[in-house]
Amino acid sequence: MVSKILRDETHNDQIVRWANHVKSSYTWKAELNEFIDAQFEIASRFYSELAKTTSGREKLKKIRESKISGVKI
Amino acid sequence: MKRGIADKNILDLFMEDFCEIVEKHCKYIICSGFVAIAHGRTRATEDIDMIIEKLSEDKFLELHNDLIENGFECMQGEKGEMIYGDYLDKGVSVRYTQVGEFLPEMKVKFVKDRLDEEQIASRQKIPFTKLDVYFSSIEGNIAFKEELLGSDKDLEDAQHLRMIYEGKIDEGEIDRIKMKIKEFRFNGK
Repeated sequence: MVSKILRDETHNDQIVRWANHVKSSYTWKAELNEFIDAQFEIASRFYSELAKTTSGREKLKKIRESKISGVKI
Repeated sequence: MKRGIADKNILDLFMEDFCEIVEKHCKYIICSGFVAIAHGRTRATEDIDMIIEKLSEDKFLELHNDLIENGFECMQGEKGEMIYGDYLDKGVSVRYTQVGEFLPEMKVKFVKDRLDEEQIASRQKIPFTKLDVYFSSIEGNIAFKEELLGSDKDLEDAQHLRMIYEGKIDEGEIDRIKMKIKEFRFNGK
């Protein structure tokens, strides 16, 4: 299988736009933290829902074990 | 039952507001990295990928104007005609944020081929995510990540989804989508 880069030109624009914002704003850290925190909240929320089922708890256990051991799932 | 606004974070609100407007004009899917994150992958993404049905310029202008009227802006410019002609119609994505904000960012593009159209046709809401938006199918996500994208991050996303949906995944469907990827994306159909 060949891995392909599928990003288009607007991705580079986004990098430049964000870098300029970082250089010119004092609020970028708080903005970025809020955005990343929201993503982790969404991930965490999924685990909470999964944990409500027996099979979900089994899956969570396996995921946790794979992370601890470093062995791929 | 929908959760209250107080339960929602900035990304929930951004996504659901944006998707609700888009759905009035065309079908869409949220795909790629955010699907894995919504399923508990503990990694971050810079943007949220959305594929929408291919629209005529007039129909797109209606969608674009609706987004603008509801507090979103396009990073590529203000004029809908330019966004359509210079980007979307050429297969290039465009990015919307809330006015004056840098994050979150919705990366929007038209369907590229029959493969994307199939993904939209098989879209689904996933109650466990608690997000009231349409996602591309789990089988589709796994197939794209394993067959087309293929970075370490993508393979780990696919592995995670396989783990989450163990015993429920249609392997035949994944194989079928992978064949289509070879047909449409590698052979350039």
